[in-house]
Amino acid sequence: MKIAILSGKGGTGKTTVTSNFAINIENSIAIDSDVEEPNLHLFLGGQKTDTESVFTSYPTIDKDLCTNCGKCGDFCNYNAIIPAKNQVIVFKESCHDCGGCKLVCPTGAITYEKREIGKIIKDKTSFGGDLFYGILDIGEMSGVKIINNLTEISNSYSSNKTVFIDSPPGTSCSTVAAVEEVDYAIIVSEPTPFGVSDMKMVVDMLQEMKIPFGIIINKAGLGDNEIYEYCKDKKVEILGEIPFDKEIAKLYADGKIFSSSLPKYQKLFKDIYKKIVDRRRAL
Amino acid sequence: MKINEIVVISGKGGTGKTTLTASIIPYLEDLVVGDCDVDAPDLDILLDPKIQTTEKFIGLKKAIIHKEKCTNCGLCHTHCKFSAISEDIVLTTSKCEGCGVCEFVCPSEAITMEDAVVGDLYHSTTTFGDFIHAKLIPGEETSGKLVAEVRKRAKKLALEKDKKNIIVDGSPGIACNVISSITGASKVILVTEPTFSGIHDLKRIYELCQKFNLKTQVVINKYDLSPTHSELIEEFCRENSIPIGLKIPFTKKIVQSVVKKKIPSLEEKEFFKEIGFFDFINTLT
Amino acid sequence: MIISICSKKEGMDSLVDERFGRSENFTIIDLDTGDFKTVENTGKNEASGAGGNAVKLLASHKVDVAIVPHLGPKAEIAMEGFEIKTVSQGDYKTVGELLEAYKAGKLEVITKKKGLTRV
Repeated sequence: MKIAILSGKGGTGKTTVTSNFAINIENSIAIDSDVEEPNLHLFLGGQKTDTESVFTSYPTIDKDLCTNCGKCGDFCNYNAIIPAKNQVIVFKESCHDCGGCKLVCPTGAITYEKREIGKIIKDKTSFGGDLFYGILDIGEMSGVKIINNLTEISNSYSSNKTVFIDSPPGTSCSTVAAVEEVDYAIIVSEPTPFGVSDMKMVVDMLQEMKIPFGIIINKAGLGDNEIYEYCKDKKVEILGEIPFDKEIAKLYADGKIFSSSLPKYQKLFKDIYKKIVDRRRAL
Repeated sequence: MKINEIVVISGKGGTGKTTLTASIIPYLEDLVVGDCDVDAPDLDILLDPKIQTTEKFIGLKKAIIHKEKCTNCGLCHTHCKFSAISEDIVLTTSKCEGCGVCEFVCPSEAITMEDAVVGDLYHSTTTFGDFIHAKLIPGEETSGKLVAEVRKRAKKLALEKDKKNIIVDGSPGIACNVISSITGASKVILVTEPTFSGIHDLKRIYELCQKFNLKTQVVINKYDLSPTHSELIEEFCRENSIPIGLKIPFTKKIVQSVVKKKIPSLEEKEFFKEIGFFDFINTLT
Repeated sequence: MIISICSKKEGMDSLVDERFGRSENFTIIDLDTGDFKTVENTGKNEASGAGGNAVKLLASHKVDVAIVPHLGPKAEIAMEGFEIKTVSQGDYKTVGELLEAYKAGKLEVITKKKGLTRV
């Protein structure tokens, strides 16, 4: 089973929730798809066991074959390839790797070279489980390719393990890529106006994608009741709450997983997981 | 006239960009405001904007399959590098990146590339100045373009109305939407929090700013939640000669203002004065 | 010699546009004949790579020297590729003023920054 943890608003506690699940639920693995700012590995600790580069391609031009006809430049919708006076300029970072320029080139002058856009790292965590996380190189435009690779990894485990997927904030293409085809989604929100506003956008997105979901309210007690009213109104299930607690905040600041230091919270995560399994069974 | 464009970003989400941006706004004169967090815009919650115009925003083109002409040859499916066209020739629009390869390979002209609306762009007025904001349809790819458009409109307005300053609320992350918010900015404010993850992410976003040669400063939000980590941030800034513009202690008062949908620096002026907020504002213009 | 100026509208009274890749228009002036025309920057709304696209446009109009604001790295590389010289537009307000400043030799030539090879 694949469970995505997402939020809309950043900083509501996705990584906190994912890491707490990862250490409390048996037979699970963790995936960090927030490839722009991955944090899960900081909390789960452990050792790197494998690193793989993720590549994209970009066109290179054989000057002997190129007739400067300009067809590649005319085709490209991203202005990544521009036939200039005596050379063809390629802006590698703009290339979407669609393969179009090669198709339209009449002389076969275009071939593709690989370049790295990021990595996927496998860790054996200090809690004994496995973690896969992606990291996007600085300056790159999009991490979607890395996220898609992580999805393949989670697919390979999902039939015999529970896969917890820490997703990017927002509702952008990265978030959609991270939660695609998951069995269930947990929205982590906070009871503040920004939290509620962004949560609504994620709810719309998940409904559109037909992914069943529930909510965990983090920092409960910090804001007001708008979020509870919204959930009641829209019949959205609140799976559980994590209180706003300075002790929890301190553990987080220190990079610790709070239920590991405060065992009284372990039951919370186990109970929420059980609820999710029941919901899935009912569907 | 060179406009002073201040962009507020963070790398890590939830550090307080929007709260800080909103708090700065009432104290900058001659201002146009932009919300470039087009995936999850929140600044409007605190600014009480009156929308003047709404425009549908067109992003990259998207493929449209005209089934009546389709011969099911499958060439589009095999050529699409984004897996946007299934074996039974059904298009998943959110995966389409608008490259045009399917249109090119189709032997029966059954595919055309057409302009697609990816979001809405708003021009609003607020007590503090004109406000440009936008909302991208979930899953859409072109946040970079929409972000660029928000900034362009804000600049256009600033020039037309002779406004000296623009302030932009950015989005979390380091990818195209953030890159699009910061290129060419006059000043960048990095809002961070004193946590293990906060420092990790700060280093990445700072590296991005360096790549674009931007004048950067750091604001440490909720700094007293962890003096250890706060010190680590200060050390990092010292080592890299990054000025620390402001250190904001955690106070429930700020959250309470936001919950009431009020700008914290107006509701809790004394608190902000005590922490040196107004001296910080002076450094922005 | 053909030069270009980033312009918001048409004619010599038009304001200079402060951006290059997303400039509204380009005013293209033939210094030898004195003729000029306004060309719409069709790529101004492109998702990305607007700079490169704009350079392509200028090249298609045989521009030798482009008077520009700060250029992004892609535009710089493209200018080099098309062998178009670039000159800084400074703070001049109108196209006419900027043209005169150029003719009077008041504008600074932009020299290539080091380490910008991305091709």
